[in-house]
Amino acid sequence: MSVAVMKTKAETSLDEDFQKLRDRLPGGSGVLAVRNAAHQLFAERGLPHRRIEEWKYTDLRNAMKEALPVSIGDETPVTIADLIVALGPFAHVDAQRVVFVNGNFRKELSSVDAQSGVSVESLADKLEASGDADSGLLGEFGEGAPDDDVIVALNTAYSTDGTVVQVEPGAKIEKPLLLVYMRAGREAAFTAVRNVIEVGAGAEAQIIEAFVSLPGAADAGQANAVTRISVADGAKVAHAKCAADHGGQVTHLGNWAVHLGKEAQYDGFQLTQGVSLARHQIFVTFGGENARLDLSGIFLGRNNDHIDTTLVVDHAVPSCESRELFKGVLDDRARGIFQGKIIVKQIAQKTDGKQMSQALLLSPDAEFDSKPELEIFADDVACGHGATCMELDHDLMFYCRSRGIPEDVARVLLIESFIGEAIEKIEDEAVREAFTASAVSWLAAKK
Amino acid sequence: MAAVESTIEQVKEIDVDKYKYGFETAIESVKAPKGLDEDTIRYISARKNEPAWMLEWRLDAFERWKTMSEPTWARVDYPKIDFQDLYYYSAPKNTDGPKSLDEVDPELLETYNKLGIPLKEQEVLAGVAGAKVAVDAVFDSVSVVTTFKDELKKAGVIFCSISEAIREHPELVQKYLGTVVPKSDNYYASLNSAVFSDGSFVYVPEGVRCPMELSTYFRINERETGQFERTLIIADKGAYVSYLEGCTAPMRDENQLHAAVVELIALDDAEIKYSTVQNWYPGDKDGKGGIYNFVTKRGDCRGANSKISWTQVETGSAITWKYPSCILRGDNSRGEFYSIAVSNGHQQIDSGTKMIHLGKNTSSRIVSKGIAAGFSENTYRGLVSAHRKAANARNFTQCDSLLIGNNCGAHTVPYIEAKTSTAHFEHEATTSKISDDKLFYCMQRGLSEEEAVTLIVNGFVRDVLQQLPMEFMAETQKLIGISLEGSVG
Repeated sequence: MSVAVMKTKAETSLDEDFQKLRDRLPGGSGVLAVRNAAHQLFAERGLPHRRIEEWKYTDLRNAMKEALPVSIGDETPVTIADLIVALGPFAHVDAQRVVFVNGNFRKELSSVDAQSGVSVESLADKLEASGDADSGLLGEFGEGAPDDDVIVALNTAYSTDGTVVQVEPGAKIEKPLLLVYMRAGREAAFTAVRNVIEVGAGAEAQIIEAFVSLPGAADAGQANAVTRISVADGAKVAHAKCAADHGGQVTHLGNWAVHLGKEAQYDGFQLTQGVSLARHQIFVTFGGENARLDLSGIFLGRNNDHIDTTLVVDHAVPSCESRELFKGVLDDRARGIFQGKIIVKQIAQKTDGKQMSQALLLSPDAEFDSKPELEIFADDVACGHGATCMELDHDLMFYCRSRGIPEDVARVLLIESFIGEAIEKIEDEAVREAFTASAVSWLAAKK
Repeated sequence: MAAVESTIEQVKEIDVDKYKYGFETAIESVKAPKGLDEDTIRYISARKNEPAWMLEWRLDAFERWKTMSEPTWARVDYPKIDFQDLYYYSAPKNTDGPKSLDEVDPELLETYNKLGIPLKEQEVLAGVAGAKVAVDAVFDSVSVVTTFKDELKKAGVIFCSISEAIREHPELVQKYLGTVVPKSDNYYASLNSAVFSDGSFVYVPEGVRCPMELSTYFRINERETGQFERTLIIADKGAYVSYLEGCTAPMRDENQLHAAVVELIALDDAEIKYSTVQNWYPGDKDGKGGIYNFVTKRGDCRGANSKISWTQVETGSAITWKYPSCILRGDNSRGEFYSIAVSNGHQQIDSGTKMIHLGKNTSSRIVSKGIAAGFSENTYRGLVSAHRKAANARNFTQCDSLLIGNNCGAHTVPYIEAKTSTAHFEHEATTSKISDDKLFYCMQRGLSEEEAVTLIVNGFVRDVLQQLPMEFMAETQKLIGISLEGSVG
């Protein structure tokens, strides 16, 4: 049944904005051609809706009725003090910072150490420098990742800035790299940013993306963030992302494309809290044998929050290991979604894949939908997934209460231990503590 | 590796080249003209002396079917079916209704004997004293013989063909038909509603425990006929019934379409147990031929404390598209689904279940075991959902897949939807081959490799086998082709 669909208000305004703004977006004619092609894809398909299987539980066309004006060349005044406030617990992490405000790089707020073998640049600068050639930075989402994702296409069309990180083979980023994407100012805006991270053979890097907002920022915001990471043979990357906001009408559309080389190790983590509509897509492709993937995340929702995590792990080569652990806490009328697909190609013998998604429902009206998928074509594999959902264990609660712990304290304690299992996957202690503190602040914010 | 190979051998024996039920019986039959239009439906309805309301119901379903399109979401791949190139009705010629077994065409009886279906009472269960199985045998589309009617009548149980029920018990049929699987439910269910030829009807009255296991054997015989069975089982308050369905079909090249609908209704405190062994022709070793099996099976736990349990052993058919489901509407109702799906050759199985929790304190359990070999694709697709008002819904799901060989695929696509915090859902799925460690362990204890594999596979499907009625155990063992010493019983 193909029905001619009327363009929604959001689709129309994104379409018009692009026509108006495309000449102001960074990059020469080569980049513009890439943007035009991506915009064409978006214009044809529109926002994804529930009739598309992957978007069954997140009807974006319906949920994102209006698109906010696209932010270009934002100059909202922000001080270092503001940055510290916005960062919250992440301000305590001893890191190099690359700061963007409303999708625009702010040199004065950033602090990047010069280090040999490591280059950290703004995407806008790179695009401008590429002249009329297509820089390849926007053109490809990621090796092995889908090349026709509409949300990624939207990002390709609109990306104003982002971080381009290159780590030479054998080099190591000394201090964690904290990429800060801040929402500030009273103007509600749509921002699109793109990170391209290439970690050479045997190199090491720790990268944290923090999507935060300055207190007093507009109540609404829409962010579309894409990160492409390629981890070359034997390299080791720890990558974490925090999408935390203050509970306004904030939409976050995130995409990660991760490509792993031989014997590479990649640890990924995502925290989502205070975002009213979030969709995180993660695409991981194993490109070399004996690589190891450890993905985990927690999503915290209350009020009418809708948080969707959708991941695809593609075991395209033999002898790789993947682990996924996602935990959600859902209160009020919040809805959490986890869709995880493990693909094992025919040649990918000796694959070891385990996936787990768990949700804690705190309110009778909360909802958790899970679709863990296995798609297996090789026989010598050990793959499994699990999914559970339940309320707080009454026995555990009783135990705490009988030890004299007040109910609200016991509740936080139990939830903290529930999500702790996922946070513990973060190796760096300071980073782990920042994430824990952020999650705990969300738990404590309950009336 | 030898162990794996021997298992492949064993699985191979089930079907493919050695399909042991591949023979045809030369019996003349009466057919409706090829193709599907209103006239075909009128013809079927007239042949069966149906009342006007039934014809209207069929025509309405046909109208709806015409507006629908074939579902494409399942992981099955087959050439497009030309629905105008099929016969929609075929009946053995002498359908005047034999009064006893003696009047039945001897060739037909011979067919059943070859299949090992015990029509006569003394043959019901050789060696099992006291057990009785009533058989409503379906030869292509018309019920030919129904045994044990008298005994069932004494208990007040109505067990007859659906055509007879339409004539004799219209009030029951009108009340329940299409209430679980509506005529516009899905493409194949609508098609079935329009052209269903025959099937079984069971009504167990209030408080009656059906004195025997009821059973129907289906057999597709006539060339190029689609078979559209319609089964309706109603267990009134406090009743219990166990129903067995087993299928075999002759070998042939043309693909055959089968689109059955089964509706189960359990009222307060009632229990229905439905077991299936499906072993239709899966196609030859190149994937040519074989049955297309698009089945809609659904049970409605309509009353409080009711229970519906599905057990299935799927070994045949080129394409299996089948999701026996439970609607847990009554408070404290319970749904169960136990499945063994074995695919080999070029078979494609996309099967699973839906457990829809609507009432309070409902519980469900899903145990699915898939074994994929050869070039087959074996998919589990299931849904567990709890409605906002389904307080204390409980579900436990376990889907395990075993892969034998490197050209097959095993997939798991579960949907888990909890809309209330008191829902307690647990889902777990694994995919693996027979682990070398387990094999080593068994062999170290003195078992031969073959015995070890048998033991492990036996353990793998054991949870489900235990749910099968005794009568099906032997058949299932044969079908799976793997001996099950020790665990039976």
